[in-house]
Amino acid sequence: MNKTDLIPAAERPERHQILWTTLLVAAACAPFARYLDGQVTAFLALILAIRLAALRWPAVLPNRWIRALLAFAGLGNCLAAYHTVTGQDGGSALLATMLVLKLLELDTKRDLRLVLILLGFLSVVQFLFDESFLLTFYLGAIALGLVTLLTELNGGLGAAGLRPALRVSTRLALQAIPLTLVLFVLFPRLTAPLWSLGIDSSRGLMGLSDSMEPGNISELVVNGELAFRARFAGRRPEANQLYWRGPVLWKMDGRRWTPGAPPSGWQQPARLIEASDPIEYEVVMEPTKQRWLFALDMPVSEPEGAAISPDYQLLSNQPVTALKRYNARSVLSYRTAEPDTRVRALALELPENVTPRMRALVDGWRVQSRDDWTLVQRALAHFNRENFYYTLLPPKLGANPADAFLFETRRGFCEHYASSFALLMRIAGIPSRIVLGYLGGETNEFGGYTIVRQSDAHAWVEVLIAGRGWVRVDPTAAVDPSRIDNRSATELLGAGVSVRFDLGEAAALVRWMRDLRLLGDTLEATWQNWVLDFSAQDQRRLMDRLGLNAWREYGLAVLMVLAVSLTLGGILLVLMHERTERDPLERLYARLCRRLAGIGLPRLPHEGPGDYGRRIAAARPDLAPDVGGFLALYVPARYGERSTPETLQRLSDLLRDFKPKAQGSR
Amino acid sequence: MTSIPHRSDTLRDRAHRYFDSLLRRVPPGPDGVARVGGRQIYIVPTRAGFMYGAVMLVMLLGSLNYQNNLGLLLTFFLASVGLVAMHHAWFNLLGLAVQARGGSPVFAGERARFEVAVRAEGGRPRHDIRLRKNGETPTPVHVGAGDQELVALAVPTERRGWHRLTDVMVETRHPMGLFRAWTYVATEAKTLVFPKPAPQAPEPGHDAGDSARPHRTRHEGAEDYLGSRGYRPGDSIRHIDWKAYARERGLVVKQYGGEQGQEVWIDWARLNAPDPEIRLGLLTRQVLDVSAGPTRFGLRLPGAVEGLSQGTAHTERCLTRLALFGHEQD
Repeated sequence: MNKTDLIPAAERPERHQILWTTLLVAAACAPFARYLDGQVTAFLALILAIRLAALRWPAVLPNRWIRALLAFAGLGNCLAAYHTVTGQDGGSALLATMLVLKLLELDTKRDLRLVLILLGFLSVVQFLFDESFLLTFYLGAIALGLVTLLTELNGGLGAAGLRPALRVSTRLALQAIPLTLVLFVLFPRLTAPLWSLGIDSSRGLMGLSDSMEPGNISELVVNGELAFRARFAGRRPEANQLYWRGPVLWKMDGRRWTPGAPPSGWQQPARLIEASDPIEYEVVMEPTKQRWLFALDMPVSEPEGAAISPDYQLLSNQPVTALKRYNARSVLSYRTAEPDTRVRALALELPENVTPRMRALVDGWRVQSRDDWTLVQRALAHFNRENFYYTLLPPKLGANPADAFLFETRRGFCEHYASSFALLMRIAGIPSRIVLGYLGGETNEFGGYTIVRQSDAHAWVEVLIAGRGWVRVDPTAAVDPSRIDNRSATELLGAGVSVRFDLGEAAALVRWMRDLRLLGDTLEATWQNWVLDFSAQDQRRLMDRLGLNAWREYGLAVLMVLAVSLTLGGILLVLMHERTERDPLERLYARLCRRLAGIGLPRLPHEGPGDYGRRIAAARPDLAPDVGGFLALYVPARYGERSTPETLQRLSDLLRDFKPKAQGSR
Repeated sequence: MTSIPHRSDTLRDRAHRYFDSLLRRVPPGPDGVARVGGRQIYIVPTRAGFMYGAVMLVMLLGSLNYQNNLGLLLTFFLASVGLVAMHHAWFNLLGLAVQARGGSPVFAGERARFEVAVRAEGGRPRHDIRLRKNGETPTPVHVGAGDQELVALAVPTERRGWHRLTDVMVETRHPMGLFRAWTYVATEAKTLVFPKPAPQAPEPGHDAGDSARPHRTRHEGAEDYLGSRGYRPGDSIRHIDWKAYARERGLVVKQYGGEQGQEVWIDWARLNAPDPEIRLGLLTRQVLDVSAGPTRFGLRLPGAVEGLSQGTAHTERCLTRLALFGHEQD
């Protein structure tokens, strides 16, 4: 016997309900496709196509055995793509696959409800991959859709179609919003995860890496993604002062720079001999899965949970896996302490592929310079005078990139300049190291903060000068501005995305576009600050402000329960006192009753219009024609067929002329 | 038999009312209409509701663990929608006006019909209202603002007498099917149940006391075919015109009888079945058989007599006597 024959008619879903549910599932999966493996997406699309085709040709719907086979195929597909189904990626892919497969088995309304409820879960999972403003609203709409379909599925709404259900669900959603906010603000957060997060490392985050070789940074620069936002407590320093310090690289193997920092015993803790021009700022940083935090040259105080390393890196104790907000303090003018000889020796280590012509170049400078600093100036002048070009599309370099760059191609990007400059300094006997980070940033006037993007990634050099400590030198800045090849950059970045270079003539449209973009970024920053980054810390601050800090988590829980109850009470109150659209007919009848009550003949609570009319006629025969005439129209309209506008008009005409007077006054 | 609780105020009535209030049934008001009050509504999650809650819990734990605020936001939104939906379910029943009315009499074993009017007073529509008695799957109705919907309830009967509805379960799963809110509405609606007619009964006696005559009449009456009429519940199967049925004219009953003006007394005392209920069943059959013909008949019961007469009203009176025989009169 066919299983579907046993299902009562009321439990059998209708065709349009299946269609809408399928479309909603497809819509919920659509943004997810970006993060899923191609073959998983293809499988999802195939199943959705079968489901939609089955609505038109029911014979297409696979039977139980084929469904079981498809389920195995789906599982195998996920395993083939991710090799596991327990991680974040694999697990999400499996969830999406199984949810879509369930669409092939929608025999009862219960199945539909299950799909719709699980759709909420699928939506939440997507936030692990993308936390944008846009996706939030998209998934909010999906949530409203699932509430609407659940309502439609329950039925009893009087009219067919989605519109009545949508009306009900919109009301539900609007009333749920205050409650949502209360829960969001007051629901106690965890300070440490309950179980291992198991964040997959397969999905690389954009950002600096802790090594540098030709091509690394230019790859970043073509990426306009956000690195972090900074808000300065006081004035904002000049753009050419904004060297956001990241990882420091000591070791060069001929092609590649890697950290290779001196052992901790060799270096004294970071200490500045002179420091002036302090500046305070707050940074909201995108997750990098790395430990370094970005601070301006030179950080002097570290935020909670971070430390300043001997080479002045600001390092968090934990990798930054979520949005991170921190306050830092830096000084723009400083003098560092001088390291001991072991550190000097490390900063002078040369790779094996130093060529004679590189040594000859440096020797030439050495002869002309009386001290190290003059030599540094001479080297910078070399980059400026000679035919060096700044370009994002440098030609390929061979096995010895520094040599090829210095003497042959002479076209490159900050990493080429920094790398070869540091190398030349070491040849000259001046200790040097590479610093990676970001330079500058775009000021957002609307939000009052500075946006630093991946495209602001930069590399510069620090040289050790006797009596001055480590001094920052930026060889890229030495390149003659006329030889900066803007064209290639704009080509790569797309018009309007370039921030490193001025936009040339600021045409009104361009400026307007820029403003619009900045406004959008302000919204996003606010979003980040208030929604994405809301944490247990903020809750504590709120409790402090309310004077309930002594109660801590319990206070928060109590406050939450109280606030939720109050909000629900408020919602009920709104429900009860909602403007009720009374039947115009009843309003007219109520007016008649009021007038009669005015002459001492009020309607008794249990009295229907007929009984009341008879009583009036008996008590006041003079009123009988008027009241009787009214009731003769009212009763059939009220209890019989629907009232027409004409009856309403006639009734209200009758009432207008009906001015009963109390018996005594006659 | 209890009287209407609110009118007199005897101890028994008060006890009855107390009992009612414990059960939290909705009592009918002075106008006979029961209006659902807030404290009389029960509410529990449905299976879908439990599933919804479980998924919310998983979403909450996941979002908390991954410290994902957007996940939390969506979880809280859906959870809030669920909570608000619970209040809407409750609110959907609040103030609903319900009034039940008994239908026309039936024979025991048939389904007693009741008509329940559900009115949406106060200017807001009521969605997905289901009336339930004895666990049948009800059809949800929608009541527009200020409107009234009639719902027919069929309740199986077993015994003769007044069949009281006593209470109806009014249920809703509006809006999302996550919560089931229900209330018991007490009603005073009743439907009369006639005794179940015996399959066949002996001929009733004639007033003249000549026991042979009706017998003969019946036998000769086979020729006195008076005509046909449509089948009515309670008609003897023997009188069904099966040939007409075979010709697809529906159930038709042949009517026989002797000459006009015949008189028959249907008498309790003439039957000798020991069980009174069986006797009543036989008497019912006799009433039905005789009333199908042109004969004037009367009914004699211990302590009650229905005089000689004819017609549907008379038949009904007789059947009512039989239905309520031995019961207190209402």
